[in-house]
Parts: sequence; structure tokens; C-alpha cells
Amino acid sequence: MRRVFSFFGEKERFMLALIAPAAITMALFQVVPIVLGANASFRDWNLYDPKKTWVGLKHYIEVITDPAFFGLAIPNTLMFLVASVTLSLVFGLCLALMLNRTFFGQSIVRTVILLPLMVAPVIASIMMRWMFNDQFGIVNVVLEGLGFQPVAWLAYRWTSMMIIVLADVWLWTPWFAVLLLAGLQSLPKEPFEAAAIDAAGPWRVFRSLTLPMLRPVIVVCVVIRSIDAFRVFDQVWVISGGGPARQTEMFSIYAYVEAFQRMNFGKGSAAALVGGLVIVVFGVILYRILDRAVEVSK
Amino acid sequence: MSTQAINTPVAVQPDETGFFAMMAPGARRAFFYLVVIGVCFAIAFPVLWLILTSLRPASGMFYVHRGTEFTLENFVEVFANKTVLKAYLNSAIIATLATILSLGITVTSGYMLSRFKGPIATGWFSTIYLFRCVPYISWVLPLYLLTQSLGIYDTYLGLLLPHVAVHICFFSWLMKGFFDGIDPSMEYAALIDGCTRWGAFVRVALPSAIPGIAALAVLCWLWTWNEFLFALLLTSHNTPVLTVVMAQFVHELGIEWNLMSATAVMALGPALLITFFGQKYVISGLKI
Repeated sequence: MRRVFSFFGEKERFMLALIAPAAITMALFQVVPIVLGANASFRDWNLYDPKKTWVGLKHYIEVITDPAFFGLAIPNTLMFLVASVTLSLVFGLCLALMLNRTFFGQSIVRTVILLPLMVAPVIASIMMRWMFNDQFGIVNVVLEGLGFQPVAWLAYRWTSMMIIVLADVWLWTPWFAVLLLAGLQSLPKEPFEAAAIDAAGPWRVFRSLTLPMLRPVIVVCVVIRSIDAFRVFDQVWVISGGGPARQTEMFSIYAYVEAFQRMNFGKGSAAALVGGLVIVVFGVILYRILDRAVEVSK
Repeated sequence: MSTQAINTPVAVQPDETGFFAMMAPGARRAFFYLVVIGVCFAIAFPVLWLILTSLRPASGMFYVHRGTEFTLENFVEVFANKTVLKAYLNSAIIATLATILSLGITVTSGYMLSRFKGPIATGWFSTIYLFRCVPYISWVLPLYLLTQSLGIYDTYLGLLLPHVAVHICFFSWLMKGFFDGIDPSMEYAALIDGCTRWGAFVRVALPSAIPGIAALAVLCWLWTWNEFLFALLLTSHNTPVLTVVMAQFVHELGIEWNLMSATAVMALGPALLITFFGQKYVISGLKI
């Protein structure tokens, strides 16, 4: 032990000491669970049944061949990811550009815009579900007031999906806005002054100056949010529960329902690991993009 | 960044041929304020509607467009509910402890990522990035087993430690960002003056990172307070948590919208307070 230790210099020992608490916590509560989950995924494991028969790859085959997994859960998750990240990026950018100007009442506006950051996804989802309630929701009340037919929002796949995405966009737009605003304010002033002298229009300035210079921040935001969006659970669970008829089921709902409602812990773990693998591969690709854009690991 | 810098306008000349050029400056300003007010209303609407719902009597729930009756009976009922009160306290305790522990652990880890190069630093960065990618559900299912076999299922510790573990990846990354923004030459000076590496970290780097740490403390507290999936799986009757209790108003007999909204408004209170006092730090601190 001492020889290993003296192999590292004084600087390396300091580096290891700095990360030791984090590394130990991670090993205990992240690495160990993943190993446990991998073990469970090879067994027939019911939470009420002490017998844990080894069944090999059975659960993996079941998950991969299940049309509800690669046919519904994963495509739904990816659709949700693309829609949610794109929309909150666009809205967040608009908000950041708006807040980057000076106007009266700015601090109040900023507070209002930060509001969704404080609201639990569960609360936001409950609210969305209540607002889109088919009989008593405010949305249908307004629609009827305007002379339209009320819509049974949560009875169809695409309207349910829309509400889930809406809840997520509402929750995460401020996050994009704050990060992009910080990015906007750290941009150098000179190119903008030069553009003003050349009498460039605002759209032109935005497209040729702001957007390219903001690119690193945009890339970081998009990568972080994409990884997060893949594991969405709260919104879907509260708004649609994966319904109607599993039509909005996402990957984490699939694993949860398998493990805790159908009492097939092995299959749930297998699904969680297959989905985890999909996102890790996706994450490594994103990492490459991230590294090229901002050189994070340097 | 100070408020001064936030208010510095970027000099952009109006487009001579665009839509806005056709409007008088006054009309242009009016249009801008109209947009601002519209945006604020759209963002605040769900929260306002939540507060409005929480003030409606149970019987008036389903006459949204007609009744104008308001009452505090929902809050009275929720306050009389022992589970809700216990959950309120539990959520606060867990969020506070998780914030202290998570930041304590990640401040050193972020400092290391920012100040050092080489295989250990790169390896650690790749590790935290990779673990951030792993979806929560892949941990949480086996965490259920782990906390049970450790005998900490449904206790503070059993919810707290997984929370801290999950925060490590992202907060280390954000901490790295803060330390990147602090000039290391002061620490070199301290080292030359005979400070140890720990001394340079604690006495020089740490104090300058305090605004960043404050921003993360706000975020960390809010995220733990608002978290649902971990609480759903790792707790039961002994340590009820607010988000789970809220979701439990959805049951076989229907949804108790009024009680659910009252609880949600109660849950918003501390979050609003924390953000109100920490807003300055969050806005200036959040740079990656």
C-alpha cells in the first residue's frame, strides 16, 4: 500500500484526496447499485419471493423483442427529448435576448421568468393535468367559451404527448434563459459596435454575430438537457401514467412498471440497463461534440 | 456579474427596412412591452391558477368558470393532516442536509477538475460525465435493494445518501466552472509564501468561490426539495416526503384537486423564499 502511495507524488496524493469523498460516495451508491441491478437482470426476481433463479439472458431477450420497448418506449422518449430540448432552447434564447436589453420593470420580469425553476416537476405536472382536464379544465372552458368543441386531451396519444412536452418546456425554458443570458453578457462588445457602425439589422447581427459566438454555451445546455430529458419520469408519471394504453410510455416508466407493478424485478432491471446503455452511447457521441465545441476535459 | 453589467445594453441599430422600422419608436416600445407582459403572463399562469385552485372550496372545484367563492378551508384541512406536516418537515431536513453534504463533497472535486491536468483529472471528468448519463431509473431499482439490505430503507439516511451521490456529477462540473473563472495566481503566490496545498485551497480559492457555491446551494436545495422518483421508491410510511404525498392525492376515488393544490402551494412557499434571497447568486453564478 505504501509503495503504491509513494508511486504518486505529493501533487497526485492531493488530487486523489480532493476527489476521495465524492469517489467513495459514487462507488457506494452508484457503482454498487448498477452491479446489483446487473445481477438482478439475469435472474427471475420477485420482490416478495426469496428465490432468485438464474435465467441468463431471458429478460434481455424479452425486453429487446417486446414491441412496447423498442416500438413505443424508446421512440417516445427520443421524440420527447427532441421536442422538449428544441422548444425550450428556442424559447430560452428568445427570453435571454429579451432580458439582455434594458427596460423598465426588468427585475420583476426576471423574477417571473425564474418562477418555473422553483416549481417541482410534480407540481407543474399536476397543474397541467388540472388545466387540461377534459371536463373542468380551464383550457376546455376557454375553448368552449370561444365556441370550439372541448377536447379530451388525455385520451389521445398526441395530445397527451403535447401536454407532457408542454410541462417540460415550461419547467426548463428558464434554465436555458439564465444560462444563455449569462453567455450573452460575457460576449465581447466590439463586434457589436462594429456591426452598429455598419448599420446591420438586428436579424443579421443575431445570425452572424450572436448565434456563432454563443455556440459553446448552446452546445453545453443542449447536451446537459438532452441527457436529462432521456430519463424523464415525474411529468409522464403524473400527467398520463404512460397512457392512454401505454401510448406515451417512456423508457423509465417502462422499467418502473415492470419492476414494481408487474413485480418482475429482473425484467425491470434488464430494461433499465438496456435503456441506460442506449443513453450512454448517445452520451458519448454528445461528449465528442461537447469536447470539440468547448474543450471541457482540458 | 454585477447588476450593472446585466443592464448594459448591446448597441444594435434598428433595421432600416424591417417590420419594426415602419412603426414609430413609441409604438415599437409599446409592442415590446406587450410582448413582455404576454410572456410573463404565460409563464406565471400555471402558478397563479394553482394558487387560485387552492383557494376554492371542494364543492366549487368543478365550477371554475362560474363560482367566485374563495375559502381557506383547504389549507386548514391540509394543516390538520399529520402526514402532510411530517412530509413538510422531512423534505426540509433532507433538502438541507443533502445540500450541505453535496456541496461539501463537490467543492473539492470541482476544484481538482479546474486546477489540475493529467490522467487523474481527465479520468475523473470522464467518470462523472459517464455517470451523469446513466438514467436515474437504472440506479433507483437496485438502490431499493441496497438500502433495504443496509437497513436504511425508509430512513433519512437512505434517502439522503443516494441524493448526494446523484448530485456529485453535475455539481462537480458546475464547481469546476466557478473555479475556472477564478485566477489561480493568488494560490500560486500563497504556495510560494509557504502555504500548503490545502491551505491555499481553504484560505484563497474557497473564499473567492463563495458566490458560486451560494448559487449551487440554492439549486441543490430546490432540486432535492422537488425530487420525486427517489422519494417515491426509497421511502414509505416512516419518512413521507412532500412530492410523494402530493402525488398521493390521486387515488382510486378520483383526484382531490383542492387538497393537492393547497399542498403544492405550501411546497412552493419555501422554494420561493430560497430563490428570492438567492436569486442574485443564481443569475450571476450560473455560468458553465
